[in-house]
Amino acid sequence: MSSLPGFLPPDPGVEGPYRVTPQMAIRIAIIGIVAIALFAALFFRLWALQVISGERYLEEARNNQIRTFRAPAPRGAIIDRNGRLLVTNKPGTLVQLWPAALLELTPEKRRTMFRRLGDLLNLPQKELAAALRRGKADPLTPVTVKEGVHDEKVMYLQEHQAKFPGVQVTDTHLRRYTETGIGAQILGYVSEISPEQLVERTDKGYAAGDRIGQAGVEASFDRYLRGVAGEGDVRVDALGQVTSEPKFSQHPEAGYSVRLTIDTELQRAAEEAVEYGIRLAHEDGEWAANGGAIVAMDPNTGEVLALASNPTFDPSIYVGRVQPNELKRLADPTANHPTLNRAVGGLYPPGSTFKPVTALAALQEGFLSPTESLQCEPSITVGEDNQVFRNWDPYRNEPMELTKAIALSCDTYFYQVALEAYERPDSPIQRWARRFGFGTASGVGIGPEGDGLIPTLAWRRRTFKGIDRIWTSGDSVQLGIGQGDVLVTPIQMARFYALLANGGKLVEPSLVKQIEQPSTEGNAAVVIRPFAPPKPRDLGLDPAAIRFIQEGLYDATHASYGTATDVFGDFPRPIAGKTGTAEKYVELPGYKGLRDQSWWCGFGPYGDDPELVVCAVIENGGHGGVAAAPAALKVFEKYFGVEPGSYSSGTVESD
Amino acid sequence: MAVRVEPRRQAAPLAAEIGSVVRSLDYVLVAAVAALVAYGLWVLSSVSRNDVPGDPDYFLFRQSINVALGTIGLAVVTYVNPEIYRRLRKPLYLGLLAALVFVFVFAEAVRGTRRWIDIGFFQLQPSELGKVVVILVLASFLAECARRLGEWRTTLTAVGLVALPGVLVFLQPDFGTAIIYAVVVAAGLFVAGTRWTHLAALALSAAGLAAAVLWVLPSAGVQILHRYQVERLTGFLNPDLDPSGATYNVTQSITAVGSGGLDGRGVAGATQTNMNYLPEHTTDFIFSALAEQRGFLGASLLLVLYAVVVWRGVKTIALAPSLHTAVIAAACVAALVFQVFVNIGMTIGIAPVTGIPLPFVSYGGSSMIASFALVGLLQAVHVRGRLAGRS
Repeated sequence: MSSLPGFLPPDPGVEGPYRVTPQMAIRIAIIGIVAIALFAALFFRLWALQVISGERYLEEARNNQIRTFRAPAPRGAIIDRNGRLLVTNKPGTLVQLWPAALLELTPEKRRTMFRRLGDLLNLPQKELAAALRRGKADPLTPVTVKEGVHDEKVMYLQEHQAKFPGVQVTDTHLRRYTETGIGAQILGYVSEISPEQLVERTDKGYAAGDRIGQAGVEASFDRYLRGVAGEGDVRVDALGQVTSEPKFSQHPEAGYSVRLTIDTELQRAAEEAVEYGIRLAHEDGEWAANGGAIVAMDPNTGEVLALASNPTFDPSIYVGRVQPNELKRLADPTANHPTLNRAVGGLYPPGSTFKPVTALAALQEGFLSPTESLQCEPSITVGEDNQVFRNWDPYRNEPMELTKAIALSCDTYFYQVALEAYERPDSPIQRWARRFGFGTASGVGIGPEGDGLIPTLAWRRRTFKGIDRIWTSGDSVQLGIGQGDVLVTPIQMARFYALLANGGKLVEPSLVKQIEQPSTEGNAAVVIRPFAPPKPRDLGLDPAAIRFIQEGLYDATHASYGTATDVFGDFPRPIAGKTGTAEKYVELPGYKGLRDQSWWCGFGPYGDDPELVVCAVIENGGHGGVAAAPAALKVFEKYFGVEPGSYSSGTVESD
Repeated sequence: MAVRVEPRRQAAPLAAEIGSVVRSLDYVLVAAVAALVAYGLWVLSSVSRNDVPGDPDYFLFRQSINVALGTIGLAVVTYVNPEIYRRLRKPLYLGLLAALVFVFVFAEAVRGTRRWIDIGFFQLQPSELGKVVVILVLASFLAECARRLGEWRTTLTAVGLVALPGVLVFLQPDFGTAIIYAVVVAAGLFVAGTRWTHLAALALSAAGLAAAVLWVLPSAGVQILHRYQVERLTGFLNPDLDPSGATYNVTQSITAVGSGGLDGRGVAGATQTNMNYLPEHTTDFIFSALAEQRGFLGASLLLVLYAVVVWRGVKTIALAPSLHTAVIAAACVAALVFQVFVNIGMTIGIAPVTGIPLPFVSYGGSSMIASFALVGLLQAVHVRGRLAGRS
């Protein structure tokens, strides 16, 4: 037979008659059995899925189409003591990815979409892919890839939804800073909750994707500001597109407003004053001056009216999508830590501004009489190793009483007082310093706050090894003039000067007046929680002792020999206060060594009704009278409404 | 004997011949297929109601045309004596190869594959009709080689004959249909009486090939299948591995089927279908939509109808008047059973995702016509068996 038989019906001789052999029958039966087996498999699987587990899958199908969502509540405003808006909200938009919908696309389609979205929003595709990876674990929760996009782009996205499968645009609230750059460190900023923060706070109603205060008042008062996020569910289809009106189980409730004790105008003046102080320092040759802080406080209540810290930053860089290079710039060492609130977190040796602490301690303990004269020598020699400690003014050598010693800031006078203290068993200076609030955070309410350091023998034992564990007479001498190891924050200093101003009562500094429900149409604002300043604590100090020190401070700004008379002497309101020039070991780019920290702390008006305490420090600013005192004066000018230039004022190179 | 009645029989009017064909039809099969088609149209119309805005009957209307075309094909195939195909095997085979090469070279890629020839009103998918052609060519070849069935050469040639179009289909790529070709050749050889040793050897090499393509070669860096294909094929083994990725479709499909429960969620309540969680709910995953809407009862009814078709098909194999027709019948049954099992199995997670449509139910012209043709062949074999005096 050829390989190509004719196209004819089969030739019986070739093919033979066809019969179903038993062999064949078995094979046909096998086909039937296989078919039965396959159908049985389908049938039983269907039975298992639909009849046995039907309820479970029904539940799953229901959850599939209902997605719970979280609607961010409008964050409360932050206002100043007069109701002036400092931080409020502006409407913004979020561009979010639905991982579930995106994962359904083919890789090519996804790439095309990412390219398109990346081009539109100016985002690297890598970032979009990374966002998708983040969301893979929980594909039904949208991942935010951009915040506060330019409106036209959002409109384009919304109009061309079909081109962007798995992308959704939702409304949100973004922070708006109405007084540009004012009080950045006080206000703080808001950003998405970090995984670590979430772990700490899940039981407090925070959820992934929430925005949370990260610093300043935004962080400390987050629970009032944040409001209650709305929760509800909405029907969506497989592409994540909403197919029903949202059903709220919890409507979003706007956060409460926080009313600060800050006065915006005084705050602005204080911030400008720090810059002014730095400028003066530069003019005086103090090239290293690069920062500072001013605290202005009501000495009767402890309410903080201004809290300036320099260098500063613009908190609005945290609004919307944060630019990594801007954050890098903030973190750069040459930027000198602009996010640090130096007024509460900066640690400085206080220098001569600490002398009233020494004096007050000695007066209270009775080992110093205010009318007793001590020799103000050019230097004294102390201890077994004959350490020499000099006065800042080598030409003065005369006996003087306490007030004059304070006014002209005689170091050797205070060395002798400190040596007296050294002889006593119970470290009186340190004990009193702690009672005046040094060595512990003031509790003003925003952080990070510094504790400061009041050095003691016990502290030396804890901290050092060998010879440094001993407390020597030299240590006491240094402490007596606020040098050595002692460290304070500006707000601790302001608190102490408030005590000097108000006659011996220790105030609790406060920054927030109250939490309010903002006024709406027809409804007045309601105070939710007042933070009335706690009654100042009377330390039971001898009023006479305080008077002597007040006098000393007044002389320091008015007597011919006062260290800051040139600055405050002609000011129309009586100001009393003390300069300080504190040596501190600093490490600057290209420089390591001791630099003078310029201080001035004081109050006004001098008398029975002081209204304002101001404490200023200019980092590496040199003499107190050169930089800090004129800076503080600017704040008094603003507070008392005195025109600059309507009186004469200068700077003075004195301790 | 001496009386020649042939001329008179030849002169018998066409109507009489049609009449004898019609009398010999398998009416149980007719009824089962009619019921399947009607059920399929009903299901399609209810799952596709919202797919085309403003035209709820878009899919129903087009599928009805497919059914009409398929019915004509069914009638023709039923009437034609299968012996004719033995003579036409060469042009049939070359025509199939030509069509497959044509789509491979010229057809525009739709969703990444080249399967369709656009002939104006109709998107012809040669690989679907190719199933039928492959069955006819294989049966003719085996009938020719009836006496040499025990030889390796016969077995391998039969495999090669089907493998050639099979590879072209595989390259489209249409993995599912290529597998059907393999099933067809296996069933044909099996029923024709190929030695068990040959069958075992073929089964082993098939298993070896699958292992190589899915596992050995990829780990050596050679990708025969696209990555997504491998994931789909193996995904059903552990669907929870990546519920949002490769097995998303299957997970959603299982949820749809399961949520149907005993008596279904109805047309309006079938959220998996209505909200597009269920992918391809008019084609590959139409069974899931049916199961969601009509529940276990509705799904089982469909299975019962298929079982009846298969039962009649298996009976027809035994009824076949020749080896040629027996192979045709067996291959048709195998193709139908395999498609039903793999399609439904895919939707409920016990078979890999291959994109094989559900016969008579999935939306699509080529598939519908091919399914009708398979049933037509079964009817033709049945008719010739009955006319040859078998019962």
